[in-house]
Amino acid sequence: MTPLRWSLLCLALVAAALLALAVGTIGYTPVESWRALMGRGDATAIFVVRELRLPRMVLAVLLGVGLGISGAALQGVMRNPLAEPYLLGVSGGAAVGAVLAVIAGLSFAVVPLAAFAGAIAAVIVALSVARATRGRGDPRVLVMAGVVVGAFANAAILILMANADASKVRGAVWWMMGSVADASWTQTAWLAAYVLTGAVVLVAQGRVIDALALGEDSAAGLGVDVDRTMRRVYLTASLVAAATVAAAGLVGFVGLVVPHIARRLGAGSHRSVLIASAVSGALLTVAADLVARVALPPAELPLGAITALVGVPFFLLTLRRLT
Amino acid sequence: MRIVSLTPATTEILFALGAGDRLVGRDQYSHWPDAAERVPDLGPGLRPNVEAVLAARPDLVLLYASEDNRGAAQRLRQAGIVTAAYKVDRIQQFDSLTRQLGRLVGDSARGARVADTVKHTLDSVRALTRDAARVSVVMPTWDRPLIVIGGGSFMSELVDIAGGRNVYDTSRTPSPTVTFEDVVRRNPDAVLVGPERAAIVRTSAAWRGLGAVRRGRVLVLDTALTLRPAVRLGEGAVSLARLLHPELFR
Amino acid sequence: MIAFTDVSVRYPRQPRSALDGVTLVAERGVVTAVVGPNGSGKSTLVRALLGRVPLAGGDIALEGRSMRGMARDAIARRVAVVTQREEPTFPISVRDYVTLGRLPHRGTWARDTAADRAAVHDALGRTEMLALAHRPVHELSGGEWQRVRFARALAQAGDAFVADEPTTFLDVAHEMAVFELVGAVAREGRAVLMVSHQLNLVARFADRLVLLHDGRVAAAGSVDEVMRGDVLERVYQWPLVVTRDPAVGAPALVPLRKPTPPPTVP
Repeated sequence: MTPLRWSLLCLALVAAALLALAVGTIGYTPVESWRALMGRGDATAIFVVRELRLPRMVLAVLLGVGLGISGAALQGVMRNPLAEPYLLGVSGGAAVGAVLAVIAGLSFAVVPLAAFAGAIAAVIVALSVARATRGRGDPRVLVMAGVVVGAFANAAILILMANADASKVRGAVWWMMGSVADASWTQTAWLAAYVLTGAVVLVAQGRVIDALALGEDSAAGLGVDVDRTMRRVYLTASLVAAATVAAAGLVGFVGLVVPHIARRLGAGSHRSVLIASAVSGALLTVAADLVARVALPPAELPLGAITALVGVPFFLLTLRRLT
Repeated sequence: MRIVSLTPATTEILFALGAGDRLVGRDQYSHWPDAAERVPDLGPGLRPNVEAVLAARPDLVLLYASEDNRGAAQRLRQAGIVTAAYKVDRIQQFDSLTRQLGRLVGDSARGARVADTVKHTLDSVRALTRDAARVSVVMPTWDRPLIVIGGGSFMSELVDIAGGRNVYDTSRTPSPTVTFEDVVRRNPDAVLVGPERAAIVRTSAAWRGLGAVRRGRVLVLDTALTLRPAVRLGEGAVSLARLLHPELFR
Repeated sequence: MIAFTDVSVRYPRQPRSALDGVTLVAERGVVTAVVGPNGSGKSTLVRALLGRVPLAGGDIALEGRSMRGMARDAIARRVAVVTQREEPTFPISVRDYVTLGRLPHRGTWARDTAADRAAVHDALGRTEMLALAHRPVHELSGGEWQRVRFARALAQAGDAFVADEPTTFLDVAHEMAVFELVGAVAREGRAVLMVSHQLNLVARFADRLVLLHDGRVAAAGSVDEVMRGDVLERVYQWPLVVTRDPAVGAPALVPLRKPTPPPTVP
């Protein structure tokens, strides 16, 4: 990708981030929002910008980075342009964990932990199912294992919700629709730890993923330890995805669409694709959250729905180019 | 004092306390009394838009007490605004909320008066129906799934005061989901529904499986009075008593 | 250079071993060709070399050292493999693709050195793909793609060069070009192991021939020793004769038509 395009992409992200701080139910001019960010001016404005919008925006950025890079890594390693971060059962497992916690009436601080635990459990089950059926690292078997785990998770969720009180069901459904509304600095810090660590690990594997994208035999011929590397990528990508789900619920489509956008922008080697996906993912998520907040005031739309709506046109445009 | 009220119950009580002019914001479902419509609509009461609330610069925010609203309550308190959360499922909760709100707006006497008036009416109705034969009722509120009013709701209490007995008063939740077979097994004397639902219950083939419906004992509630535990609770009890024991009112 | 000693491979749930006690050697400076009918185990040989299938018995050694103890990237630095088929899922330019051949030398973080770039340039030159270096590989013709794959293996350098069915989908001119290249690589002192079913071409370019049949070595030796009518007919189960092509002087296989049965009298 040319330096010009990189600069434009990063600039777009910065612009979106600043816009996210300025725009909302209470509109602030760029000057006002900047002053409020710096801690000067109207107390309410300072609170809104610093304590409401800023953590939200940072969370959205981390979310986008995590989902984008995770999706790109999985697509490369599984040689499947339709792979996405939740493929190995992450979304199903996380949803079961969260719904269980909500319906059991546990404090809402426990819900993210339950979601995370559920996601990890589901990934382990999916990998074990694949291994047990002698699939080893075969991506197709993994996809099927992920589908099986997801179907089972859906069934479990439906059973849990069928007999629960209406208000609990509502809470569970809200969680599943994805949102960065309840952003807190603690949560953001945790997510940052997972996402940044995972990102470093995945980018380091950039060249190896290039080799794996040619095929497992080819990669082996180039000296790649195929099984170990694929396992490392699956686990790291899924861990990052699980962390994003724990922090913000299910936000779909970002991980699927963003790697294609990155390639459309000209990223070739996987190292470029991974980094461009991270930045594009952040841009998409921040923009989607902005839309979620201002589309139908004063209500707030679910983030997961907006990312899909915003992502679909991009995806269609990219599909035309793929074929 | 600038107040934002994000539950219909608190909005209505505030108007009854004469503090309606202090309201600078309400939730989208606070439609009573009519004057409430003139208060700015700030959006949903569940997961409220915190920015919109802040824009109204309130001194006090009244929220619906539920896990959904915990985040919003936290953020509002962080912004330095006094925030209180309430849930009114039962008559006692309404009573204490009214008195509490009276204190909050600085007019405890009026709060006590409003609460006492309602209490007085309820006590009168209870006394009136004390010796009448209990009429057992079922109160369906939704069809698929079948949801009825349970023992956890103030409606159950009103029915009891009005000389009736909710066949689901043993359930502790306000809106349990039940099966039709279970309703038939409990064999209520009458079905108590709002006007929209009455037509469905009277004509649906499924409902005609219930003895009460076949006997024509489908009683229509005045939902304006009984939809929520509010200031008109007393009138609600009276209208219910009229439905269940018309003989007492001749 | 590459020595297979008594190698056996069995795929799970298969009644027969894919390879059964195969012993063969690919020496430096020599083009060793492995031939045989479909299902004789030729590709399994390559997969065993790549470590993609476990050995049920025997050993593969590189210059005397068993591959069992060697790390895959150490192996990759010495042996370059062109597999039978490869289809990149994502767009990649010819140059980037050939540069991937340097992966075993570079590792994950190190940048490409001048030596790497020189190797890539050299490989592209030898395969006459310099002009198309910036094209994405999916825009190449079958012949161009095959040459690029060779270029990557050349860039990978090393002491041994292995190719599995390198001339599938290629027309005559490209086929010949590939075999010429393979011969040149051997003459540079590398060991060349080639799996091919193109018996006649192989006969012209290979120095040594290994004939596989049902996972076993049916014959091994010089071209003249192995290309004998009786041996080949038994292995390929088809009537054929081996002639000597006067134009090139190498043995040539000529399959015969099966005798048509006399019409049955109604």
